[in-house]
Amino acid sequence: MDNLLFGLQTTVIGMGIVFSVLAILWCLLMLVVKLDAWAARRAAARAVADAAAGGLAADPGSEAVPPAAAGTPLVRLVGAPDGLDPRLIAAITIAILRHEETRRLQAAPAMRSYWPGSLLFASRWVAAGRTRQGQSWRRRR
Amino acid sequence: MRARALEGGGPERIAAQHARGKLTARERLALLLDDGSFQEMGALATHEETAFGLGRQRFPGDGIVAGFGKINGRRVAVFAQDFTVLGGSMSRVQANKISRISDLAMESGVPLIGLNDSGGARIQEGVASLAAYGEVFVRNVLASGVIPQISLILGPCAGGAVYSPALMDFVVMARDTSSMFLTGPDVVAAVTGERVTIDELGGPDVHDARSGVVHLVADTERQALELVKQLLGYLPQNNNEDPPQVIPYDAADRMDDELNTLIPEVESEAYDVREIIDRVCDRDSFLEIHPAFAPNAVVGFGRLDGFSVGIVANQPSVMAGVLDIDASDKISRFVRICDVYNIPVVTFVDCPGFLPGTDQEYRGIIRHGAKIIYAYCEATVPKISIVTRKAMGGAYVAMSSRQMRTDVAFAWPTAQIAVMGAEAAVKILYRRDISMAVDPAEAEAAFVKEYRDAFFNPYRAADSGQIDEVIEPRETRQRLIRALEILRTKVQQNPPRKHGLFPA
Repeated sequence: MDNLLFGLQTTVIGMGIVFSVLAILWCLLMLVVKLDAWAARRAAARAVADAAAGGLAADPGSEAVPPAAAGTPLVRLVGAPDGLDPRLIAAITIAILRHEETRRLQAAPAMRSYWPGSLLFASRWVAAGRTRQGQSWRRRR
Repeated sequence: MRARALEGGGPERIAAQHARGKLTARERLALLLDDGSFQEMGALATHEETAFGLGRQRFPGDGIVAGFGKINGRRVAVFAQDFTVLGGSMSRVQANKISRISDLAMESGVPLIGLNDSGGARIQEGVASLAAYGEVFVRNVLASGVIPQISLILGPCAGGAVYSPALMDFVVMARDTSSMFLTGPDVVAAVTGERVTIDELGGPDVHDARSGVVHLVADTERQALELVKQLLGYLPQNNNEDPPQVIPYDAADRMDDELNTLIPEVESEAYDVREIIDRVCDRDSFLEIHPAFAPNAVVGFGRLDGFSVGIVANQPSVMAGVLDIDASDKISRFVRICDVYNIPVVTFVDCPGFLPGTDQEYRGIIRHGAKIIYAYCEATVPKISIVTRKAMGGAYVAMSSRQMRTDVAFAWPTAQIAVMGAEAAVKILYRRDISMAVDPAEAEAAFVKEYRDAFFNPYRAADSGQIDEVIEPRETRQRLIRALEILRTKVQQNPPRKHGLFPA
């Protein structure tokens, strides 16, 4: 009976230590995650504040477009054309992307891998098969 | 003469057309076609009638502009009715011009696009104008399944004129300015005593959501024309060619972890199947057809690795994704369109079965449901199915099951493939055992659990070869792309015959 009690005590103490260490580790990890998120939020807020204060030009020849929302990474324009407002450049960029999207949806020539119908000739198997599919039935003589 | 043809019904009528919020036929064609690509046919043709004052109303072109052009560099045949000329009324000359352009489109293997804006038949021409409809209808039918035919309703479309769009592959309608009906509100009131407005009778909302005549509705004419361009991007030039492939812009091996958790754990909870489709297809490539009609099924075109695919899916967030008459019509029609234009069909299955009830039975759910089976069995294009959750009874068979010539059948681990729901099955299988049990409720619950454990998973079906592979949801996209790559040169031939008898 004494041995059993001793065994139980040892198990409880051992497991307790293991789980305590695991709990401490878990807390530490949570702390690291929260600290990391806090640092990221702070950096983003600082970037937004900088952009809002008009400090768009980070270095000569490059300009930063203010982000649409906090947390969005800044777009750096390398070698931006002179005399163009970064906001105008951002608007043009969005318009180009939108146009590209529309062209893609319509499978416009610049977006096509091949001319409609041309792939057919890459496969004689398909060409012959489709011809067979479309043939009307004729009795053999 | 040429200048007169270009100005249609004259400045006053053009101004009136603009005042109605509508564009003229030539303005529409200018928006639809690539710049400088339009070659007009029969620009100066006009009628030779003199009765009822028609002799004084001769306009070059006779109320229709027809010809060839290009949309995004692709050749198309077009005709546009000109409402400023005699209300765009259908005449013998109009029919001749439409027939000629249809014949040339068929011979050249290019899509035909019709812009409808007409008050109906030209009454002054009598039976000749009715015969004119016949000329157009026969060409619509002969071109069906040979070249894509798209009809735009951009104004009134009444009487016999409605059948030409109905015989075409797709109908696109502009909101606020267009309507379609066989008999107008006055005739309806005279015959049935029912008082309805034009919009209530044949407005875009009616045909979009209730009748299913219209496949796409746009808010404005410009948007309708843009929609046609987009729709054409998924279609080939003719039934012998492949649809255009867009340069791949979304990684073929992209995995989406969200798919793994998209199916709710609680069986009775719904989800939006469009989210699955959007995540599986190339980014922003899904164009839903018939979005408002029979919303318990979702059909549309998407792209996988840049290639056109037809997507068919049950929508669990509407009526649990059950198949009813309208959903059957919608799915079967779409599968057949994909089949004739060599577009592979991908089917997402989550369907508890066909909708029960006297209403559906009396209205012929059997023959309508048979359309789905017929369409899938007849289709020779690559067919891939993915069972995402429920695939019960007849609906499992109908929705692109392995035996119906489906090439690859996938299932997600959440799939439940069974003859019927557990509760109903247990009542049939264990009726006597349950009634003789000490506690019938407890016994029934135990049998239900046993049945669910046995059938409510995809492995039993996979074991018997009904499912080719149980895949992780997040890898669906790459599995589909890989399968379609293999099946790209698939050619299958149906037995020779005049034509099958499609359940009607």
